[in-house]
Amino acid sequence: MPDRPSIEQQIRLAFPTLVPVPSPVPDLLQYRIGHAHLTELTSYLHNKIGGRLALLFAVDQRPLADRYEIQYLFALDSRQPWVLLTLELRGQDRLFPSITPSVHAAHWYEREIRDQYGLIPQGHPDLRRLVRHEHWPKGTHPLKKEFPWNQVLGRQQGEYRFRHIEGEGVFEVPVGPIHAGIIEPGHFRFSVAGEPILQLEVRHFWKHRGVEKLFEQQPLAAALPLAERISGDNTIGHGLAYCQAVESLLQVAVPRRARYLRSFLLELERLYNHLGDVGAICNDTAYALAHAHCSRIKEHVMQMSDRLTGSRFLRGALCIGGVTFDVTEPGLESIVKELNRVERDFSELEAIILANASLTDRLETTGVLTERVAWDHGVVGVVGRASGLDQDVRRDRPFAAYDEVPVHVALYRYGDVRARVRVRMDEIHESLRLIRDIARKIPPGALVAEPRHVPKPGNWAVSAVEGWRGEILYFVIAGSDGQIHRCKVRDPSFVNWPAIQWAVTGNIIPDFPLINKSFNLSYAGNDL
Amino acid sequence: MFRILRKSLKTGVVTGQHPAAPQPADTAPHETCEKATPFTTSLTIREVDTGSCNACEMEMNALANPIYDAEQFGIHLAASPRHADALVVTGPVTVNMERALKDVYRHTPDPKLVIALGDCAINCGVFKGSYAVTGPVERHVPVDLRIPGCPPRPAEILIALANLRRR
Repeated sequence: MPDRPSIEQQIRLAFPTLVPVPSPVPDLLQYRIGHAHLTELTSYLHNKIGGRLALLFAVDQRPLADRYEIQYLFALDSRQPWVLLTLELRGQDRLFPSITPSVHAAHWYEREIRDQYGLIPQGHPDLRRLVRHEHWPKGTHPLKKEFPWNQVLGRQQGEYRFRHIEGEGVFEVPVGPIHAGIIEPGHFRFSVAGEPILQLEVRHFWKHRGVEKLFEQQPLAAALPLAERISGDNTIGHGLAYCQAVESLLQVAVPRRARYLRSFLLELERLYNHLGDVGAICNDTAYALAHAHCSRIKEHVMQMSDRLTGSRFLRGALCIGGVTFDVTEPGLESIVKELNRVERDFSELEAIILANASLTDRLETTGVLTERVAWDHGVVGVVGRASGLDQDVRRDRPFAAYDEVPVHVALYRYGDVRARVRVRMDEIHESLRLIRDIARKIPPGALVAEPRHVPKPGNWAVSAVEGWRGEILYFVIAGSDGQIHRCKVRDPSFVNWPAIQWAVTGNIIPDFPLINKSFNLSYAGNDL
Repeated sequence: MFRILRKSLKTGVVTGQHPAAPQPADTAPHETCEKATPFTTSLTIREVDTGSCNACEMEMNALANPIYDAEQFGIHLAASPRHADALVVTGPVTVNMERALKDVYRHTPDPKLVIALGDCAINCGVFKGSYAVTGPVERHVPVDLRIPGCPPRPAEILIALANLRRR
């Protein structure tokens, strides 16, 4: 890695006293830092050398050591190492400096840490509850080790205080948690004056199911079904990210054929979801024809997934160390033929959709997310690529077979609904091209590899996968006897939800469903 | 215009182009079918998600696509519980959604059916026992029909609904 010294040198130049600790993970620089350096260093990484805050979470190390740790993971440019900062809170110390004033992307993460652990981010501008709604009793923090995983608490009185805008003619529109369509629960509070939206506040975490605590009750080898069910439409994305983290802990070398099949599954998942999204966005402008055709093609791909793996959502196709299914050469050939027909079908439809002037009128300049706002929120995935953020894990940190099957990244700059539709359309073609490429290059060989190593308590691994929504991150820490000590899950929705609040400002409420659908974020993956 | 017509003609009728689902092992009990008698020709469904992973929602949405086309069986999907004959509830009931579920149930006019869709709604699935999950749907509202699966396929949902509404 020729780039590695440069980042390290830059940090050494700016902070001569900092020395990286030896890291068990390749392509990652880890620093243990004190309270004094934290805000300065995070601000330097984010504002000076273009580091995106990819993950911020706390760990209760108490069975192993008497301390809490707060981990800050920064993603730098393509093919640069990750930078991991570790802050230790020893003894009775429950305060840590908030970095939100200089790194806005930390906003929700720090509130989440406060809810889950009772650690207070000092100087945070907004300390309202996030995950635990107001009816959760005071002083209960579920991810502390002493909190029993299966204890359902009583309710207390409490009220969430929304941000209010006051003035003549300003009124509020509450929407949710139960919506008109068949979608997941979430609450949106609009402040409007006439038609334009002055402000939107998103209030989520209705579906909080305690996933991260559930992980801690399971052995490393057995938690895949849970990971697959974090966000149903993202089975392979989450499953693969979990598998990769565990495999790097168990030091499993996944066979080459299995890596190709994993890429194939991930592209298949991207394909059916993007097809559905293009149709659903059209549907929100009452363009029923495109919706009907898209949902027909999507159904076709899902039925194909069912025939291939026995699940329409590709569940159970992955396992630790490889994959559980195989395709024969003629089988693969017929899949490619079928997908070629799908592509012709979709291309005809695409031409019809793009030629529709009234649709273009609804999509253009609607729900603009500027590159600056997107960057400040650390936005990832389709939404980021529609706003000019050129990032894709498949290219930047290749996993599965993407080092041998390179990806062309779709990129648009306008950040409106139309740009997000265009990114999806391009990625549909790209996924189909990748599948053809995979079918051409796939080598014969084994499907599963055995683990070679038992991780020691405290060993950790980080894994990133470009799911169809964007970058999915897993940070897994091993406990004793092959149990999970901590599994931090970061769905792309968690970082993209706050950004939607900016994309809708100035638009009219009837356009909100359209903008929301063009983001198409997961509630389940966000709420965990 | 001609492009659109050509596309529609080329596509033809796709309704019913899906693999047949097997008959479910246990059929709906007699009293449930009795309760469903008013809805044999028309059934309006309101879907409520109380903490599912979104896969069950996607399969419910698939019922409206041209391949399953649930409307042909008189099944409509309503936007409000006040318009519904049946509630389809998915997911384990989370602590944060418990009150919303009870509210929706109260706002649905009688007579009404409650259908627990998917393993999570029936027995909490992989989320069983968590501090944030209060239990399966039947702990909070009476359930008339259970459709198991993780998630159940759209064809399986259609068969279960057809059995329920058989005269």
